[in-house]
Amino acid sequence: MKSSHLAISHLSAKTKEGKEILHDISLSFRSSKVYAIMGPNGSGKSTLAHVLMGNPEYKIQGDIMFNHKNIEKLLTEERARMGIFLSYQSPVAIPGVSVMQLLRTAYHFENCMKLTQLYAKKLHIDKTLLTRSIHDGFSGGEKKKIELLQALVLKPAFAIFDEIDTGLDVDALKVVAYGMNKLKKAGTGVIIITHYKRLLSYIPVDVVYVLSKGKLLKTGNRQLVTVIERKGYAGL
Amino acid sequence: MNRTLLPHPYAFGFHTKDVHEYKSKKGLNKEIVMDISFQKTEPDWMRSFRLKSFDVFLKKSMPGWGPSLSELTFADFYYYLKPIVSQAQSWSNLPKDIKETYDKIGIPEMEKKYLSGVSAQYESEVVYKSVQQTLTKKGVIFSDMDSAVREYPELVQTYFGTVIPTGDNKFAALNSSVWSGGSFIYVPKGVKVELPLQAYFRINAANMGQFERTLIIADEGSFVHYSEGCTAPIYSTDSLHSAVVEIIVKKGARVRYTTVQNWSTNVYNLVTKRARVEEEGIMEWVDCNLGSKLTMKYPSMYLVGRKARGQVLSIAYAGAGQIQDAGAKAIHIASETTSEIISKSIARDGGRTSYRGAVKIVHGAKHAKSRVVCDALIVDKDSRSDTYPMMDIQEQTASMEHEATVSKISDEQLLYLTSRGISSKEAQSMIANGFIEPIVKELPLEYSVELNRLIGLRMEGSVG
Repeated sequence: MKSSHLAISHLSAKTKEGKEILHDISLSFRSSKVYAIMGPNGSGKSTLAHVLMGNPEYKIQGDIMFNHKNIEKLLTEERARMGIFLSYQSPVAIPGVSVMQLLRTAYHFENCMKLTQLYAKKLHIDKTLLTRSIHDGFSGGEKKKIELLQALVLKPAFAIFDEIDTGLDVDALKVVAYGMNKLKKAGTGVIIITHYKRLLSYIPVDVVYVLSKGKLLKTGNRQLVTVIERKGYAGL
Repeated sequence: MNRTLLPHPYAFGFHTKDVHEYKSKKGLNKEIVMDISFQKTEPDWMRSFRLKSFDVFLKKSMPGWGPSLSELTFADFYYYLKPIVSQAQSWSNLPKDIKETYDKIGIPEMEKKYLSGVSAQYESEVVYKSVQQTLTKKGVIFSDMDSAVREYPELVQTYFGTVIPTGDNKFAALNSSVWSGGSFIYVPKGVKVELPLQAYFRINAANMGQFERTLIIADEGSFVHYSEGCTAPIYSTDSLHSAVVEIIVKKGARVRYTTVQNWSTNVYNLVTKRARVEEEGIMEWVDCNLGSKLTMKYPSMYLVGRKARGQVLSIAYAGAGQIQDAGAKAIHIASETTSEIISKSIARDGGRTSYRGAVKIVHGAKHAKSRVVCDALIVDKDSRSDTYPMMDIQEQTASMEHEATVSKISDEQLLYLTSRGISSKEAQSMIANGFIEPIVKELPLEYSVELNRLIGLRMEGSVG
C-alpha cells in the first residue's frame, strides 16, 4: 500500500441546526500508524469521524486534505473509494442486504468471497452472519466484528473505529486488536476513538489526541493514555 | 462490474413495423366482436358466448372504487391484430422482426436453459409454441387458448368461464367478448411438471388492446408452475391489456403462477385472475408488477375444499407516472382452509402503490386461517402508498392476522452503504432489493436474478 497522509486543519463543524460541535481542530494521520482519539462524552469524537467520512449532516469550515488534495467537497462514496473507512459505533441494520453482498458490491474483485470467509474465521465470526441481513438482530459484539471484517477486506488507507471496544468482553477485545494490528501491518493508518485504555493495551499506539468540548485539548504519545486513566480528563 | 454501462431503465421500449395478416377496425362494437369470432372460425357456442359477454360489457359500469379510469377510452384501441398466418414450432420459422424481438427479450435462451415449454404471444395471437415431448407423452396439454377451443372442446366447455363468470366485472366481460390468445394447460392426475411452462406476451403496435385468456386445469395430485412475462414499446398513446386467467386446482394438486409484469408505462393493465382450489389443493400466486401506467390486479383464490391452501406473494414498483393498485383476495368457503398474503411495494419519483385486498371467511369454514402482511417502502416525499384491507370474518373459530408497515430509506442506511464506496443510487437499489428479498428468495433463481435486475435498473435510472 502506498504511503498516505490525512490531515485536517482549522476544522470546524456545525449541525444543520447551527450547533457548533467541532471548533478549529488540526490533526494529522499517516499510514501504518495507530492513533487514539480520546475525550469525555460530547467532546466531538464521533462527529469528527463522521465529518472525515463526509456525512452530509454537518456543515464544515477548514480543510480536510488527503495526500495533499482537498477532499472537503467529495461525496462519502468518493472518500470511501479513496481509502477512508468508518467503523460505526451503532451501525444501522439493512434488511435483506448481507455483509457478503455489500462487500461484493463495494469490492470489485473476484476473490472477495474467499477473503471475507477467511477473515470471518480469524475474527471468530459465525459464518451464518455473513449472509444474514447486516446488523439485523446482531449482538453488540457481532456488530463490531462485522465492521472490522469489512475494514480487513476493503484494506483502506485509513480506518476509523468509533468506540469499537464498548461492550466487548476480553476475548472479543483481543480479536479486535488482532484485526487492527493486521491492518496496521498492511499499511492502514488506524484511528481508534475510545474512552478506555483496555483496547489500547493490546495495540502499540503511536499518537494520542484528546478532544474536549469540540477542541483539541492535548496531543501526546501512549503514556498520555495512562495519565488519563489515572487522573481522568479533568486532570489534564 | 460497472453499473454505469447498463442500458436505459426500460430496455424493451423498441418497436418494429406493424405488419399484420389482419387488423380489426379501431374501436369496439358488435360487428368487431363477430368479426373476431369469424376470423378464428370458432364454434357457435363460443361466438354466442362472446356476444352475450359483449352485452354484459355494455351494461356494466366502470369500477366505482380504486384509481380513476376516466382517461381510458374504449374507442381508442384496436381489439384484434393477427400478426402472421400460422403458428411456428421453431423460432427460425418466425418473421425476422418478430424473432428478433424475442431474441432481444431473451426468450429462446431461457427456453434452452430451464423451461418445459414456451408460448409466445405477439399482439393478439400466439405465434410460437413448444412443449417438451416427454410431457406430451404423459398427457400434459400446453396450447394456445384458440387451438384448445377447437382441439379440446369438452375440457374447454366444461371449465371456460366457470371460475370468472362474464359478469364478474366490466373488464372480465370485455375480455370474454374479444379475447384472443393466452394459454390452455391441462395436467393429468398425479403428473408433476418439473420445469416451468412460460408464456411471453408482447405488444408491438400502437393503440393495441391485448386480451389473452388463460385456463389452467391441474387434475388431482398434479403440479405445474406457469410463469408469464410481458413487455411493450413506449408510445405516446396508451395501450390496453386486459386478461382473464382461470385456474382450477383439483384435490391435492398444486399450481404456482408467477408473473413478472414489465409493460411500458403507457399500458393500462386491468387483469382478473382467480383460482378455485379444491380439497388439500395449493394455489400460489407470485405477482410482480413493475411496469404499466396503471395496474389493477388482485389475484384471488376461492378455497372451496377442506384444507385447501392459497398464497399470494405480491411485489409492486411504481415510478414516475405509475400507479400500481395491486393486492389479493382470499375467500374461505371450506373448513381448515388457510391463506397467506404477503405484499411488498416500492414507490419512487412520484409513483403510487396501493395494497387492496379482501379476505372473507364464511360461516361454517371452521378453523380457517388467514394472514396478511403488507409492507410499503416510500423512497421520496413525492411518492405515496396506501393500504385498503377488507376483512369479512363470519366464522367464530377462524383466525385472522393482519400487519402493515410503511418504511422509508433512511439517511443513516444511505450513509452506511456509501461509506463502503457504493454510489447512492446503487445503495438505494440495494436497499429496495433488500426490502423485497423475503419474497424474491421464494422464486426460482432465474426469476429472482431477473427481478433484482429490473428493480435495480429502475432504482438507478434517473427517471423511473
